[in-house]
Amino acid sequence: MPEPTPLPSTPAARELVIYAPDSRRCMSFWRSLQVMTGNIFRSHELIRQLFIRDYLAVHKKSFLGFAWILLAPVVATLSWLFMNAAGVLQPGTTGVPYPVYVLVGTTLWGLFTGFYQSATQTLTAAQGYILQVHYPHEALLVKQALEQIVNFSVALLVNLLAFLWFGVRPHWMIVLLPVTTLPLFFLGAGLGLIISVLGVVATEFRRVCEVAIGLVLFITPVLYNPAAIGPRFQAVVRWNPLTHLLETARSTMLTGTVPDPLAFALSALFALLVFLLAWRLFFVSEHRVIEKLF
Amino acid sequence: MDLSNDTVIKVEGLHKKFCRHLRRSMFYGTLDVSRDMLGLSYRADRLRPSEFWALENVGFELKRSEALGVIGSNGSGKTTLLRILNGIFPPDGGQVAIRGRMGALIAVGAGFHPNMTGRENIRLNGTILGMTRREIAERFDAIVDFADIGEFLEAPVATYSSGMTVRLGFAIAVHAAPEILLADEVLAVGDLRFALKCYRKIAEYRRNGGALLLVSHSMQLVRNVCHRTLWLEHGRVKQLGETQDVCDAYERDVLQRSVAISSREEIVRVNLDPQVSIAQVEFLDAQGAVCNAFPVGAAFRVRIHYAAQRRVVRPIFSIALLTVENITVVANHSNFDAPEMCGDIEGRGCVDFAIRSLALKPGSYGCTVILAEGSLDNNLEWHERAYRFAVINAADTHMNGLYQPDVCWEKGVS
Repeated sequence: MPEPTPLPSTPAARELVIYAPDSRRCMSFWRSLQVMTGNIFRSHELIRQLFIRDYLAVHKKSFLGFAWILLAPVVATLSWLFMNAAGVLQPGTTGVPYPVYVLVGTTLWGLFTGFYQSATQTLTAAQGYILQVHYPHEALLVKQALEQIVNFSVALLVNLLAFLWFGVRPHWMIVLLPVTTLPLFFLGAGLGLIISVLGVVATEFRRVCEVAIGLVLFITPVLYNPAAIGPRFQAVVRWNPLTHLLETARSTMLTGTVPDPLAFALSALFALLVFLLAWRLFFVSEHRVIEKLF
Repeated sequence: MDLSNDTVIKVEGLHKKFCRHLRRSMFYGTLDVSRDMLGLSYRADRLRPSEFWALENVGFELKRSEALGVIGSNGSGKTTLLRILNGIFPPDGGQVAIRGRMGALIAVGAGFHPNMTGRENIRLNGTILGMTRREIAERFDAIVDFADIGEFLEAPVATYSSGMTVRLGFAIAVHAAPEILLADEVLAVGDLRFALKCYRKIAEYRRNGGALLLVSHSMQLVRNVCHRTLWLEHGRVKQLGETQDVCDAYERDVLQRSVAISSREEIVRVNLDPQVSIAQVEFLDAQGAVCNAFPVGAAFRVRIHYAAQRRVVRPIFSIALLTVENITVVANHSNFDAPEMCGDIEGRGCVDFAIRSLALKPGSYGCTVILAEGSLDNNLEWHERAYRFAVINAADTHMNGLYQPDVCWEKGVS
């Protein structure tokens, strides 16, 4: 017979928890930020375990395993290169060989959509146990984002190999990538969180947003230089915050410049606001949404 | 809300509502989410069209070392209550105060990844249940030992039998050392050996000050484990008190309801001689009053009224009493039991079949009445399980067998 397990008597374990209607809605914005951030720090072990489960265990069964992570950006780039060679694309002058330009662009775009996609699944990814076990769901968002960051890092390796191949030397400011891509996380995860909540109570939101993001790819200079397009279309591209977030991240990598610092700052601020709004929405309504999940 | 030192759960005026229609439920959801977002207050304590109270004004307290049973028919709100206590659903009214780490034995093993080994899943599931890395390391051997999975520890959980999966899930959950344990019908799983181990573990957990909230349909389990019991009906507290009282009242209610339901059912009657019939069958208690529910051990009498428009030579009355599972517990024929009573009959009259002490397990029983002439194969009328009565547990007994005689235990001499 195993030894009896003693019950915890630490103050944290004896903390009084009150569940009442509206207790979350009545909490101030800053307080809810504190609570959620605190939850994430406390759940670091949970995040680690869930990451192992969802990221590493998934690849256990496939023959190619982690090669899949490398394949995705390479295949995407090949398809754009093919279109360029066929003369369908007119990207304009890109400063660096077109394959490098596209590869960096699609990798950054992939990071953004990855953040978005994984955030939309914050609640649904845990369907098996979200109704059975109580734990901070914010941890899931972080775990989902971590998966994207790892994917991105691997894709970045492919980029660097391409740099070598085409004789492009990355600027030292490439080390600033964590900073320049942070707004992409805010915008992608923010939109995704909003959809993770609204998409459950009104499924239309999810579909509309998916179609919209597919379209936004074309008004974001992922595949072309914005200078090469007509002035009317250019205005649309300029008003798109993703344009500045993506271009800044790419330029710092390739040339060490920020094309439009003010536009970047405003776009980053916009992304942060979207994220904070989504964070609050998630906080006040996650339980209501879980009720409707099943 | 104030909690006394020993109280670990206190629920006051708890309300929870749900919506019957999916589309409308989604509409309300959108509305509520928007209001939450804008910080607008609204009356959550009122029902909108198509909504109903899944829980209404529920209140109780649970103290350290105490076990509270929650009983009620399906849809009475038991699972909803567990989910609110577990912090998964928010209440729509009232308050729930909880002091201490909560553990849930609901769908044990939820969150297992089939591709990961037992070892990896113990780490994962333990973390989901709130254990630290150190706690998992310390209790790892105890968990493996308790789950009894042996050499399967390094195999993917996908290769486990369903019993092994449940054993492992349960082992992790009980070793998470919660101060409050919510259990929903989980003790009904696994083989006998494992079920007994679980009971012992729970008893040990309670001795160490743990509190248990057990949702179950098994009155036997609730009687054995719980001090006090909460009976929910349509989301409201029907009764809260000593387990024995509440379980007895609940069983009486269920039986009476099942008698009432079956008395509405179409009675199966076959008549092979239109001139002879069984006109009426009644159950009578010791005082001779018509009755449908009899305490264990009470006097029981069946009165069969017949109507014969011709002379019936050597009539035979037969009676069978059957459980709901169709097990015959009593089967008697008047020609064997009372040959002297076998005189011919004509016109209207009645015969009684009496049992001095109805020593049957509490439950619902069916009664078959047959009238034959001369020999058992010459049936005139057959009423197959056409009548129902209930046996209720009026005395404070703990007997579980089908036959419940008056017994005693004595110390023998070896």
